[in-house]
Amino acid sequence: MEQFNLSLGAHLLLWVFPVALVIGVFVENFLDGPAREPQR
Amino acid sequence: MTPLDPSTITTVAVVMVLYLFVLLAIGWRAARRTHSGEDFHLAGRSLGAWSAGISSTASSESGWVTLGAVGMTFTHGVSGLWYAPGCLLGYLVNVYVVAPRLRPLSATHGSITLTDVITRRWGDPRNVLRVTATAIILVCMMGYVAAQMTAAGKAFSSSLGLEGRTGYLIGIIIGAVVITLVTSLGGFRAVAWTDLFQGLLVAGALIALPLYAVMRLGGFDALVQGLGSISPHLLTASGDRVGPALWGFVIGQLGIGLGYPGMPHVITRYMATRDDREVQRLQVIAMIWGVAVFYGAGVVGLVGRVMLPNLADGEQALMALALELVHPVLAGVLLAAVISAILSTVSSQLLVAASAVAYDVVEETLGKARDDRRSLILGRITVIVVGVIGVLVALTEVRLVFWFVLFAWSGLGAAFAPLILLALTKNAVNRHGALAAMLTGAGVTVLWNLGRDPVGNAVAFGRSWWVALLAAVAILVVGEVSRAFAPADKIAVVAAALLTLLSWWLVQQWGLANLYELVPAFFMAGFAALAVSAVTTSDVQASID
Repeated sequence: MEQFNLSLGAHLLLWVFPVALVIGVFVENFLDGPAREPQR
Repeated sequence: MTPLDPSTITTVAVVMVLYLFVLLAIGWRAARRTHSGEDFHLAGRSLGAWSAGISSTASSESGWVTLGAVGMTFTHGVSGLWYAPGCLLGYLVNVYVVAPRLRPLSATHGSITLTDVITRRWGDPRNVLRVTATAIILVCMMGYVAAQMTAAGKAFSSSLGLEGRTGYLIGIIIGAVVITLVTSLGGFRAVAWTDLFQGLLVAGALIALPLYAVMRLGGFDALVQGLGSISPHLLTASGDRVGPALWGFVIGQLGIGLGYPGMPHVITRYMATRDDREVQRLQVIAMIWGVAVFYGAGVVGLVGRVMLPNLADGEQALMALALELVHPVLAGVLLAAVISAILSTVSSQLLVAASAVAYDVVEETLGKARDDRRSLILGRITVIVVGVIGVLVALTEVRLVFWFVLFAWSGLGAAFAPLILLALTKNAVNRHGALAAMLTGAGVTVLWNLGRDPVGNAVAFGRSWWVALLAAVAILVVGEVSRAFAPADKIAVVAAALLTLLSWWLVQQWGLANLYELVPAFFMAGFAALAVSAVTTSDVQASID
């Protein structure tokens, strides 16, 4: 039986992009967190 | 979908009624904390990160995320997912560029609405910017509200087992009465809190259902093999598109994100956030919600394509999978999530339309109802009036109004997104440039949309260039007669007309018809703002310091 695989572009679109984005968001929050004081 | 048995319908209906009572309870609680106009229109600038973050994202997505996005991957496979990076890039700009700058700016200027931000940023001595922005918002929002109420009516009638035209009418009225009542009672705070509840429901559904469905299918590899056996194109990022159709589709899907900074119902959430610390937390919450919801919807569509090969309409895949796979009580919760996605947007747009009338027109332009109590009452009455008009349009299905919905997202996005970004990041624009940007964004959106399908829109397309010209002349005449226009405003109108006509010519060039109208309209509006500002001077100093 024929085996099917995701193309490279499909890998990037389906999971590489969202995983990288989530990691980036957490890293940015971690690095930027202590520097910012609450300001109304 | 297969017909449901009566016990399932009863169980689903009971869950739906409970869901509606939760919305009413939230509205009632919010009403007890709403005492003034600023409370009603902006929750007294007191939102925390969760309500601001989830509310800003949930209200932007409408039924599109649980219906349209699911249908995209059901039909096109993995290549249907291009909307996800497009929307998430829009979220990134909104939460990392717009939110941290807009919150302090609107607090300093005392801005209540998006129109207020623009007019107070650049000054608006004769209400030219306020009237133009309010007109664009009202036209787009009223169409949106009516279309969403129609969608809510259909979803309610099908989930409550109501049949035929009567069922549809009852569905619209139930949804509209509840959401208008909640919005009218609690204003912005009720909308933000119900958005939080509904947004979490949507996220929960779009995380749990695809995970469970993939498990039932036999794992991720089984999903890949199932899709591949239907068509290998379903496993690629380009699908079966080539050439201009491919790049037009990809740029267009990525371009959806350009509209987010211009959505009044989204960015007012940032203005209502309590302080900078909450904005920082909001960034993480909004981005995680976005990733979960967009990719959850995408996977639901992919699983639906494999598990439900006979489903005629891919947009029904979430509801069909819910009824097929889980207990009726859980199916009821999942259907409530579908309706939640619609209602959270309806309430937000209802409030934006009401704020445009009550605050921007009556209070600011006409100078009425300056005290807090009258402002609150005026806001509540306006929500009810706008809600009733929305229901009447939805019931009578006025075609002209639904025609405007075609342009609602791109029209708002092109008219306001470049302007908001320029307002927050540069001092190179004045109020005449702002006027040119709004008119160019709206004009290019309409003409590009018509020009994309000159055969299907033959009548409208043939007339569109001179209608645009007449509109420009009419605006100039009204501005002249009312003595509202400064000489530089006339330059702004002429520049917008020229750019709009240029777009009518451009869209007919090779391959450009494949491009989503928001992309050219956004960049041409931004260019209009900068170019007109460069050749005119304003008596009001523009500064973001």
